[in-house]
Amino acid sequence: MALATLTLEDLPIAAAARVADVVGNDSVAIRLLEMGITPGAVVRALGRAPFGDPLEIQVRGYRLSIRRAEAARVAITSD
Amino acid sequence: MDKSARGSDPARLTVALLGNPNTGKSTLFSALAGIPTRVGNYPGVTVEEKIGRFSHRGQAIDLIDLPGTYSLAPQGPDERVAVDVLHGRLAGVPRPEVVMVVADATNLERNLFLATQATELGLPLVVALTLCDVGRRRGTAIDTGLLAKRLGCPVIALATPSGEGLAELRDAIVAGPAAGPPAPLGLEGAGPDDSRPAAARDAIRRYALIERLLDGVVHRAPAAKPLPEDRIDRLLTHKLWGTLVFAAVMLVVFSSIFWLAAPLMDLISGGMEWLSARVSNLLPPGAIRDLVVDGVLAGIGGVVVFVPQIALLFLLIAVLEGCGYLARAAYLMDRLLVGVGLSGKSFIPLLSSFACAIPGIMAARTIENRRDRLLTILVAPLMSCSARLPVYLLLTGAFVPDVAVGFAWLRLPAVVLTGMYGLGVVVAAAVAWLLSRTFFRGPPQPFVMELPSWRWPQAAVVLERAREAVWSFLQNAGTLILAVSVVVWALSNYPRNEARIEADIETQQTQLADQLTDAALPPAERAELSAEAASLETPEGRAAARLAAIQRGSLLGKAGRFVEPLVRPLGWDWRIGCAAIASFPAREVVLGTLAVLYNLPAEEAEGTALERRLKAARWDGTGRPVFTLPVALSIMVFFALCAQCASTLVVIGRETGSWVWPVVTFTYMTVLAWLGAFATYQLGTWLGL
Repeated sequence: MALATLTLEDLPIAAAARVADVVGNDSVAIRLLEMGITPGAVVRALGRAPFGDPLEIQVRGYRLSIRRAEAARVAITSD
Repeated sequence: MDKSARGSDPARLTVALLGNPNTGKSTLFSALAGIPTRVGNYPGVTVEEKIGRFSHRGQAIDLIDLPGTYSLAPQGPDERVAVDVLHGRLAGVPRPEVVMVVADATNLERNLFLATQATELGLPLVVALTLCDVGRRRGTAIDTGLLAKRLGCPVIALATPSGEGLAELRDAIVAGPAAGPPAPLGLEGAGPDDSRPAAARDAIRRYALIERLLDGVVHRAPAAKPLPEDRIDRLLTHKLWGTLVFAAVMLVVFSSIFWLAAPLMDLISGGMEWLSARVSNLLPPGAIRDLVVDGVLAGIGGVVVFVPQIALLFLLIAVLEGCGYLARAAYLMDRLLVGVGLSGKSFIPLLSSFACAIPGIMAARTIENRRDRLLTILVAPLMSCSARLPVYLLLTGAFVPDVAVGFAWLRLPAVVLTGMYGLGVVVAAAVAWLLSRTFFRGPPQPFVMELPSWRWPQAAVVLERAREAVWSFLQNAGTLILAVSVVVWALSNYPRNEARIEADIETQQTQLADQLTDAALPPAERAELSAEAASLETPEGRAAARLAAIQRGSLLGKAGRFVEPLVRPLGWDWRIGCAAIASFPAREVVLGTLAVLYNLPAEEAEGTALERRLKAARWDGTGRPVFTLPVALSIMVFFALCAQCASTLVVIGRETGSWVWPVVTFTYMTVLAWLGAFATYQLGTWLGL
């Protein structure tokens, strides 16, 4: 596994990136894709809940709460 | 129940309302159909079915509100129901003839995901664009004409407060069957062909399609200035201010169902008492009067008394949901609850359960995830509800010495009281943790949740939500709770043997006289015993003793003696065991039962008379006091953990749609309560308390 792969979990607050891939074939991956986190979509980290999890992100013009474990499934490439 | 609403009357047009959660779907439903004519569950599943009726241009229309869903590739039971209804696969529900998709204009890209899926149903389609007023204020203009052309179906812009577009929408619905289904959009080939599952490939292709569909449709002002709601949102998500606001909101929610509901509940209790007194005067004394007053009327009172809490909680939940804060609260609390196998959405139901488990369990309806919802329902009754408070207060007041613990201001009764509340929380966390790792283990559940923008809640939707919750409680749970109350009343009053009751009282009198002849009796105890003997001579004292004798001779009294070996290890005598069993309809009954069993009029159950009586209670035939500190603590722990609340169990049955879960809840809580009480008594005795 390439260590250099950045995921949505690593995205600093207020930074934006492009989705490279959503890892996995299970219902979590499908739900992420259905919510618009598809390869090529722009995601922006907006904040973290008081205990550090979940994350608040923006994608396709709306805001989404996503747990860190789920965010780790979203590979990103920074522009 | 109105069965006719489910029949497929050819003269009526069946229209399905489909949409993502938080899109103003409920607002639109109210605007089109007003109060629903039918609210219930779909056959065989516990997914809510809501049908409204209206007519337009002479056409009668049945509007079916489908559960909010993000996709027609179903993942949960709610989504499966929506898909099954749309395909006419759900027995007893007619296949819709027109589909109306609600799409949030401020979040068009994601909302069109469901809308484009709906174009493939082969049914006439109408797209209702909600929140267009908000979109315009944000500087977004949508070319609905172009979008309609591309989708191949009418697209109608709606603005809620002004009612803009509603007439047009009704026209489009009525014209639906003539217009026919939209042409296919050509999803195939518009994306990758890799090893992903079909639903994943479909999602990627669909978003590519949506980007093409929206090209030139949405015009955004170059630099839209932030709206007031955006500023509110920044405050609400702020690490410090957001958390403070959250604490304040939760305080309001909790205190309103705990304290604001109290005067309303007192009013209901007062009204029922007045009614009981009236009926008592009308009916001749006897079994019928007892059944009507103590059985039926008391049972009805016990049902109606929950209405203020349920109404208030659902009003507040609807307001929080309507303005978008409910999702925010779940976001803030998620981490805390994930650790024990729950989710952020469990927070409000669990918090509400501190006031009363019944509105709390009903509030678990806001949890979409099945597993999380069931787990929340199973542990909610462990939160110390307000019905436990009188039990705690009486026993701590009577048996916990008022001494300082470490600090002068930290008193032992306060510590014990706090400990009882803490115990419920800790045990609930442990149970949830254990269940989520054993019986409820499964693949990770996605917690991908939209955080909706701030908006004003709609009064009609808020009121409808509260009305619906109260109604479904009264209709579904109320009747059963009433039945249980009447049965338990009968068990604690029958069989009756008048000769034995009189003999019982005479035995007591001779026993008291015998004890008073003992010269070695301490003066305090002598005073207590002679007061008791004197009270048996008065009509009130005699009546109280009669009631106690009836309860002792009843099936419940026999059960109390029967379970004595089981409650002995907890340090209890048969009377406490009996009171614990009799409190099955509701925990607070335990004080009344104890009062009755110790020959005290039930009205004196609260306050110092019962405290004195409990302190004076002796094991049958000995001078050993029944109530010691370990016994008091063991009773408190038992009541903190037990499921002695028939209403809660009935509501669990209704909300889960299965009798398995109330049985599971009752069993596990009773076992835990017994173990907890046993450990407390044995440890307390060993420590020499």
